[in-house]
Amino acid sequence: MSGHLLHIDHVSKHFGGNVAVSEVSFSVDKKQIFGLIGPNGAGKTTLFNCITGYYPVTSGQIAFNGSSINNRRPDQVCRLGMARTWQRVKPLCSLSVLENVMVGAFASTNSPRKAEAFARDQLTAVGLDDHAGKPAGSLPIGLKKKLELARVLATRPKMLLLDEICGGLNHTETEIILEIIRKLRSSGITIVFIEHDMRAVTSICDRIVVLNSGQKLAEGTPAEITSNPAVIAAYLGGGHNAQD
Amino acid sequence: MKQLTICAVLVIAAIALPLLIGNNPYLIGILITLLMMATLASAWNIVGGYAGQFSFGHAAYFGAGAYTTMILLSLFNTNPLVGMAAGIGVACLIALVTGSIVFRLRGHYFALASIAVAEIVRLTVLNLGFTGGAQGILLTDVPFFGLDLNSKSPFYYGMLLTLVVTLGITAYLRKSKTGYYLQAIREDQDAAASLGINVALYKNRALLLSAVLTSIAGSIYALYIRFIDTSAVLDLRLSIEIILTTIIGGVGTLWGPLLGAVLLVPLAEVLRSNLLGDTLFRLGVVSESSPVGIFLKDGLAHGHVLVYGIITVLCILYLPKGILGLFRRGK
Repeated sequence: MSGHLLHIDHVSKHFGGNVAVSEVSFSVDKKQIFGLIGPNGAGKTTLFNCITGYYPVTSGQIAFNGSSINNRRPDQVCRLGMARTWQRVKPLCSLSVLENVMVGAFASTNSPRKAEAFARDQLTAVGLDDHAGKPAGSLPIGLKKKLELARVLATRPKMLLLDEICGGLNHTETEIILEIIRKLRSSGITIVFIEHDMRAVTSICDRIVVLNSGQKLAEGTPAEITSNPAVIAAYLGGGHNAQD
Repeated sequence: MKQLTICAVLVIAAIALPLLIGNNPYLIGILITLLMMATLASAWNIVGGYAGQFSFGHAAYFGAGAYTTMILLSLFNTNPLVGMAAGIGVACLIALVTGSIVFRLRGHYFALASIAVAEIVRLTVLNLGFTGGAQGILLTDVPFFGLDLNSKSPFYYGMLLTLVVTLGITAYLRKSKTGYYLQAIREDQDAAASLGINVALYKNRALLLSAVLTSIAGSIYALYIRFIDTSAVLDLRLSIEIILTTIIGGVGTLWGPLLGAVLLVPLAEVLRSNLLGDTLFRLGVVSESSPVGIFLKDGLAHGHVLVYGIITVLCILYLPKGILGLFRRGK
């Protein structure tokens, strides 16, 4: 288990008779950018919810930084250093952009002044400093995604779980977010991200796991994944070249 | 700094007010009610406005303060301050039990469950012997450090102090970590948890703080009126009046609850004393025996809750940020 920051061991999640995630195992190393891909309904977000404590797992083990986090609450998982963003962004609408990020910063300080200073740094890091005073609810989607990122960064995570952080963004916006993610990795943060945009995934990930109908279909480098016939058939549609 | 000066002026004015109106017991009585409703609404606002947990059971905490103080006084002649402290203890106990059970529920379910807990408290008090049951508790003499408690002004100042403390706590809270955490919980519980906030813990803290302040107001009220029964201090109607005062004034704001009380308490008094009807009769605009006159005299005089209701509906429709929102359009 050593060397791995996150270790998923035969994790299953059933909702009544529905098997959303079935016997999935993989490990994420420190400073990796790890992609989790698969068609709609493959169980990606469910797996995220299990890892971050929103759903109890039906069976299997989840270890973070060498210790089990199976029965941890979401806030405890965050304080252990694993932060997540949401596929459907969850801004604290009536608070300002700065205050949203301050809420994240309070995870490591009780002082509003220190929280504000640290929050401003995070806003600068994602390029939101010009919008600090605006109500979070008033931002357009692209900026809301950046806000999600700034807010989780303020919790000082070791690992970030990004759930379709590029979803709904145009090409330019996506590039900006990917550039931020690369910078985060070089600052020492490990990243797991769920993404639909194949170009984004293959351009940035060190390693990829493909889920299909709740099961692990394949694991490997971007090159291995895009040339894997099973992946092409299940996820990209039979017969097409994945690079298109 | 400017705000601090305004606050100081307001407090000094409030301290001087009883001297200015020359100890008119009727007016001081209205002012005490006003300060009490402002305190109750501000205390509710901590858990209802900032944390967004709509408790419909705050009468239970008010009643806990009132009943504990009165029971201890009538049975053991306990010092009212000790009674007040014991009342805080009982209110905390109810809040802890309520919070640990009811905070597992969200939204409407929390509101419903909070009514259930308050009703359990009310029915228990109504059916126990030492609480005076349906008769309530009446005290004629309250000893308090030789102070003349037949005058109303000690209660005026007691309520004023409680209100100032409540507003002070709210002012501090809203710029503190806890305040931001409560607002985050109100906006989105899942997002709050993902940012490291122990949602249940902070909800319970907010409820405890709110319950303590509510119970203090309950103790002072009981000592002031010297007669309590379940319909006066434990009724659902009281819980609802607290909420309406906050909503009409401005929920989740520092000054909204006070503003709500300043508007609604005098309004209720005007309706209750039938000031409107009497004025119209005297001016000869409406005849006392006409249908409108009968409505004004018999209907509207008991209808202040109805009027609250209409104002609330109008506020929700047109002023979702309360009356206070009117002055903050630009922000």
